[in-house]
Amino acid sequence: MTVNNMADPRRPNKIFRYKPPNTETNPTLEDPTPDYMNLLGMVFSMCGLMLKLKWCAWIAVYCSFISFANSRSSEDTKQMMSSFMLSISAVVMSYLQNPQPMSPPW
Amino acid sequence: MRHLVFLLPALLLLLALPDTRGRYNDDFDDGEDIAEFDDNDFAEFEDVSEDPAVDVEKEPPPRAAPSSTPIEDDEDEATVENEDGQDEFEDADAQDQDMYSKYDNEEFEGYEKTNPSFKNTLIYREVPAHLQNSWESYYMEILMVTGLLAYIMNYIIGKNKNSRLAQAWFNSHRELLESNFALVGDDGTSKEATSTGKLNQENEHIYNLWCSGRVCCEGMLIQLKFLKRQDLLNVLARMMRPACDQVQVKVTLNDEDMDTFVFAVGSRKAMARLQKEMQDLSEFCGDKPKSGAKYGVPESLSILSEMGEVTDGVMDNKMVHYLTSHADKIESIHFSDQFSGPKVMQEEGQPLKLPETKKTLLFTFNVPGMGNTSPKDMDSLLPLMNMVIYSIDKVKKLRLNREGKQKADRNRARVEENFLKQTHTQRQEAAQTRREEKKRAEKERIMNEEDPDRQRRLEEAAQRREQKKLEKKQMKMKQIKVKAM
Repeated sequence: MTVNNMADPRRPNKIFRYKPPNTETNPTLEDPTPDYMNLLGMVFSMCGLMLKLKWCAWIAVYCSFISFANSRSSEDTKQMMSSFMLSISAVVMSYLQNPQPMSPPW
Repeated sequence: MRHLVFLLPALLLLLALPDTRGRYNDDFDDGEDIAEFDDNDFAEFEDVSEDPAVDVEKEPPPRAAPSSTPIEDDEDEATVENEDGQDEFEDADAQDQDMYSKYDNEEFEGYEKTNPSFKNTLIYREVPAHLQNSWESYYMEILMVTGLLAYIMNYIIGKNKNSRLAQAWFNSHRELLESNFALVGDDGTSKEATSTGKLNQENEHIYNLWCSGRVCCEGMLIQLKFLKRQDLLNVLARMMRPACDQVQVKVTLNDEDMDTFVFAVGSRKAMARLQKEMQDLSEFCGDKPKSGAKYGVPESLSILSEMGEVTDGVMDNKMVHYLTSHADKIESIHFSDQFSGPKVMQEEGQPLKLPETKKTLLFTFNVPGMGNTSPKDMDSLLPLMNMVIYSIDKVKKLRLNREGKQKADRNRARVEENFLKQTHTQRQEAAQTRREEKKRAEKERIMNEEDPDRQRRLEEAAQRREQKKLEKKQMKMKQIKVKAM
């Protein structure tokens, strides 16, 4: 009884639909990490492929993983997959060209 | 006897050295004979004639080495090999030794010096690591792969933890939300406005929930901003700098639901930061944040307000009770009718238009646990949601008195004037460029016009317009002059 005395605050006639916030007008809201990591990954994999540096290729793999972990669900999976494949191919090519193991920098 | 057998051919060869090879090739058709000669009798001597230096060098070591073997036994295998070589020499070419025993030791005194260098020039190449057939040499690669596996493991674990926390939060708050809002959960994509009844996953660490259909408000967006537990780098960074999960609630109101005021209360750090960052707080609440102790709230909280009356109106007993009992979980509470988000930095300087404002209530709560939260901790946020609902109803009822309203209106007018002044020059420039663009477009149109008649007519029309404008300007100047006088 007491529950019915309190007016029900719900108003089905006053429903507004959800509008995703416009990130163009407010770029500070967006997290730039996945984009940076994507770019970095591509740069490192190109370096690894061109200059035949194994450590570059490995860092590229890490970058693409980090980018994937931080990505938004609305983002294109194709972009993720392409950067991932590029970094894996950089690693594979470096080892095919020079099967010697990587030497540590120290 | 054997010596004589070999001496004779040797003498022959030595006498006819330059021609021997050629003659042998030309004169002897019988291949077998050649072979016989090459292999058995003359082979060693041919070697002697071809490379006298090498042979001479080869022979002394066997003679010198036996005397020095005890010394060189400790050194590397070179000595051993030489000794083996010596043995070979001795076995196969015993005759040679006998032959060379004729030579004096004195003749080869100088060669002893070359012996050590001969032994030292033997270089042992390292077998390349990838041919060594041992996995140990690839330890860096194994380390890298292990790191990747660790990252993947952490991703899965972190993702699951965040998901469980979100679900726990929603389960504990579902009842309250469903009793207050007609629409709970909407992603904006479905045709009809039906409650999805679940959270909208934006990220592996951000979950959204949109609720709508209530008196006093347009809608409420709840964002569960968890820590990036799925990213190993972030996990490691958090070990240095602890942070906590946050729940952000943004209630958007209709125009009639709120009077005109700006107010904020929260932790001291948060208030200092918001005053600098937020457009409306920096414009309307110019004073430094006041300590909450004056209003019966813990010291840790401070208040930013447009005017004292607003603070008195908002901080009633129930609100003070809420704030006191949950002070540790409150990061910031921000009520504003002029909310436009954080200050936007534009490259050209100031934006040309006043940013759009919306009547908003913003709440940011910290989840207890400082990162090590468990799903049970989500229940402790329920009273805070009750506070949110209470605030919505309260703000609707809160009305400023006449004085307060006048003050508020004056403040808003002042802010707008300031803004217009600052952008005056820029707006002028923008108008100028627009006018020039128009002129250029007209001229281009005239030039592109093929028909000469039409061209003439358009030109004349443009000239007339220019003339009119000039006349208008002149009239205005005259008027101003008259007024001034």
